Amino acid sequence: MSGLVLFYRLILRPLFRQPGRALLILFAIALGDAAVVAIALAGNAAAGSFHSSIETLAGKNDFEVTAAGGVPQDLVARLSKLPYPLQVSPRIEDRAMVADTRQSVPLIGIDMIGAANTANLPVLGASEVSDAIRHINDPDAIWVTRGLAQAIGDRLPLLIEDHTRTYTVRGILPDSTQVSGDAVVMDIGAAQIATGKQGRVDRILIRTPAEGGFAAWESRLREVLPAGVMLNAQGAETAANRRMLAAFRWNLRILSYIALIVGAFLIYSALSVSVVRRRPEIGTIRALGTSRNAVLLAFLAEAAAFGMLGSLLALPLGRALATGAVRMLSTTVNALYVSSRPGPLSLTAGSVVLALVVGVAVSCLSALAPAREASLVPPTEAMARGRRDYEVRVERKRDALAALGLALCGAVAAQAPEIGGKPILGYLSALLFVASAALLTPLVVHFAMEAGSGSLRRLAGMEGLLASRSLGGSLRRTSVLVAALATAVAMMTSVGIMVGSFRETVLTWMQTELPADLYLRPASWAGGDQHPTISPQIADRIARVPGVAAVRRMRAYDIQYQGLPATLAAVQANPPTVPENLRFLSTAQDADPMRQLPSGNFAVVSEPFANKHHVKTGMSLALPLGVQKVTFRVLGVFYDYGDEAGLILVDWNILQRYLPNPAPSNLAVYLAPGANLAETRVAIQKAIGNNNVLAFSNREIRRQGMRVFDQTFAITWALEAISILVAVGGIAGSLVSIIIDRRREFGVLRFLGATGAQIRRLILFEAGLIGLLASAVGLGLGVVLSLVLVFVINKQSFGWTIQFHWPVAVLAWSMGIVYVATILAGLYPARLAVRMNPIEVIHEE
Amino acid sequence: MSSAQTDPDAAPPLLVFRDVVKEYRNEGERVRALDGVSLDVPAGRFLAVVGRSGCGKSTLLHLAGALDFPSSGAVLLENESTHKLSETGLTKLRREKVGFVFQSFQLLHTLTVVENVEVPLLLAGEINARPRAMERLTLVGLADLAQRRPHQLSGGQMQRVAIARALVHGPRLLLADEPTGNLDTATGNSILALLRAICSERGVTILMATHSAEAAAIADAIVRMRDGRILEGTQ
Repeated sequence: MSGLVLFYRLILRPLFRQPGRALLILFAIALGDAAVVAIALAGNAAAGSFHSSIETLAGKNDFEVTAAGGVPQDLVARLSKLPYPLQVSPRIEDRAMVADTRQSVPLIGIDMIGAANTANLPVLGASEVSDAIRHINDPDAIWVTRGLAQAIGDRLPLLIEDHTRTYTVRGILPDSTQVSGDAVVMDIGAAQIATGKQGRVDRILIRTPAEGGFAAWESRLREVLPAGVMLNAQGAETAANRRMLAAFRWNLRILSYIALIVGAFLIYSALSVSVVRRRPEIGTIRALGTSRNAVLLAFLAEAAAFGMLGSLLALPLGRALATGAVRMLSTTVNALYVSSRPGPLSLTAGSVVLALVVGVAVSCLSALAPAREASLVPPTEAMARGRRDYEVRVERKRDALAALGLALCGAVAAQAPEIGGKPILGYLSALLFVASAALLTPLVVHFAMEAGSGSLRRLAGMEGLLASRSLGGSLRRTSVLVAALATAVAMMTSVGIMVGSFRETVLTWMQTELPADLYLRPASWAGGDQHPTISPQIADRIARVPGVAAVRRMRAYDIQYQGLPATLAAVQANPPTVPENLRFLSTAQDADPMRQLPSGNFAVVSEPFANKHHVKTGMSLALPLGVQKVTFRVLGVFYDYGDEAGLILVDWNILQRYLPNPAPSNLAVYLAPGANLAETRVAIQKAIGNNNVLAFSNREIRRQGMRVFDQTFAITWALEAISILVAVGGIAGSLVSIIIDRRREFGVLRFLGATGAQIRRLILFEAGLIGLLASAVGLGLGVVLSLVLVFVINKQSFGWTIQFHWPVAVLAWSMGIVYVATILAGLYPARLAVRMNPIEVIHEE
Repeated sequence: MSSAQTDPDAAPPLLVFRDVVKEYRNEGERVRALDGVSLDVPAGRFLAVVGRSGCGKSTLLHLAGALDFPSSGAVLLENESTHKLSETGLTKLRREKVGFVFQSFQLLHTLTVVENVEVPLLLAGEINARPRAMERLTLVGLADLAQRRPHQLSGGQMQRVAIARALVHGPRLLLADEPTGNLDTATGNSILALLRAICSERGVTILMATHSAEAAAIADAIVRMRDGRILEGTQ
């Protein structure tokens, strides 16, 4: 009971008297926490949805059989004939594009007869299955979800691979949990024809009897499967994709915590000010017999209450932010990883718990130091005003030494390798550098203000002198504000440098990587993991077009290597007139890997693949190709920024030996010297005829690449903007609190002849100085963090080597915006200060 | 109406209160702080306003310093009615003609002693303020402590700095609100002696609010107030 009375008197009553402080803390927690909730929700919706595409109508099974280039169909028969009661369900899993709307949907081919005889496919009702069987021999029959057709009998033109065909809707799939979003279902035979996969299936699902155990069934099945065919628990592909996406989502999640870190500074600042203000009350209560622990607990309880309330506000806010975030994320997931459609956004019990735990934890941790300080101050000292800032000045040296120690630890952590594929120590290093900068900030502010006050006085008169002295005088408060904004600026700077460097690197890479004049791909391409093919004869027809010097074919397959997805690509050799376009980061001595590639089982691998699988030049890779496992020797590791999963490049003719399929995924067309690009392009389009193949000029494909790049990082900038918003909002709130604290000073100045305009200028000058100091500290810290991001975190997460580059214009703009925003943040506090009645504030004293 | 003619033979008045009424609203209630006050303050004289807390002393000083305006009546400083002045005119008046000394010194803790004294000059846009600030500090006997911070000074020293600051721009009128209220007797007396000397030697008119009869005794004339009215003026 006495605890409640203490909490009311010490915490609640002052809060009601200063609603601005309460709002500032709530704002910092709610917005920071909302960013975390938004990214968690959007990440689940955008990255989690591909599960539904692959698993559409899959039912519950135990194993899945897959192979690079497809599983030979005779394996279905072989598995079905095994003397066990197995349910064997072969599937075609591809994508189709609705020609009218350009909507890309999963195209699933299932064995309709098998489905009719099994209870394992609850997707089609009994009537649908019997109806399906009536149309089994109709290659145009499809079953679709409600979103794609109104009624049975509707005609639906679909673009599959490079050809468009109109199909007839023979059934509407019932709403089912196994179909998330829209999908097209065909009988497996029709699907094989439509996708050009005659004689092969994409996956065989196997359901084993309950008795026997997983390992026993695995070994029985393994016996009948060829070496190159993979047997895994159902969902292995989904799990592999999830693992691949893990780094992307992990980095994004970390990024979403930046706003929260900035918020933590502001909570700390607001609570510190509040403790300083309430020292007489704390002193009185302590003098009356309240224990230190009770004071500590009272302040921590206040922080917990703020955390709870802020988190509750963060939930709807995070849900709203997630709507925008999911759109950006799904674009990235589609372009770089797997074709997917965003799933529904829903606040789950998990997200509520996440918001509460994060909000309360951050709030309590930020409050720990001020609460401890409140509890440690003896009653007599608590009555003395204005001594704490002086003590902080005395501790500057200690803080500077601690800062140096943290920076050294940060540098050491940056050298450490990744843990479980995650750059955990890289992030720790970044965090240590942030903490180091925060500890160094009082020293920087002190010296800057000491050194600068004379110049500021000459430059801006009384306002300059007072602003610099006031900031230097209340070092604790100023330093926390500067550190909060500096952290946000540093994150923005470091991400700006990282993205800018990455962009420049990709631009340079594209210039060397894309030497052809035209690039062709099927119009049905829908995502990073999709490799629809072009009819083989088109390449031959294009090669005969006047003005075309050479056509280079490329065929890509999605494979799994060591449980992770990767892309296996076969390329034809460059025409002799075209210089080699790949830049190698390691090759065997004096070797020319691309010239050596056609001479045998050789491969070159991309840097991300080499880093993920610890592959080096000279090592051997055992690749599952069709039904066999084939060994390739690695001739070199090349720079690549187009495929995060990793790329294995082999010669076209070599791969044809193992996966004989002449249909290319892409074509690179080289024009003859002097040939007109526009005219030749028209001629090529004619050669393509009715096939849906898109041609892009070199410039167009580069532009498209950069658009994807910019879209990918749009979410990053959005998160940075939230951090800056939290920081600037916090500055405004803190300035209001400073104005209230310093009202006596403004009153005196008015008595001494200061005009309203001078008071306004003084506040804006202080805001500007905070912005300037934060920009300086933030820029320094940002450069250090950018090195960690570029050379440690990015390298360990994605395996890319990024050439360091200064995006001067972006940085200048960002700094300018932050500086102006900080000054704008001072406008309202300045107005408050001007409107104060000097007589009233002097009389309060 | 309450009035006081402090010295009919003295120089023409620097400050005149004519039928001044000042009302405030306090939680919806109208409070009359000054109730028909008329008072002439001759130039170069030291006038003490005495009375209990809440009798209207401070309000009188605020009106004299053009920080506030009468609800009715007029306050004239050097024959100029304060309520007719624009915001710029009022600031100019405070910068040039009036100096303030407060009970709790009201020094700016982030500035050094000499910088505190410079403030009024710098606010008025004067660039070369240091020599005059040092001159005033010498006047109050604190030139040696010019570079110290206020928290390093005693109460009496702080009040001397405040007086130096109030005089730095050469005001004709010094308004002192309970200048010895936070000081012990000996220190308070030395401050009163300093104020007396400033008035006598430099011809600065001083209007001092105090509730101490002992402090008021140093003045040329005493005005007694109660409930917003002047009871009597004595020499």
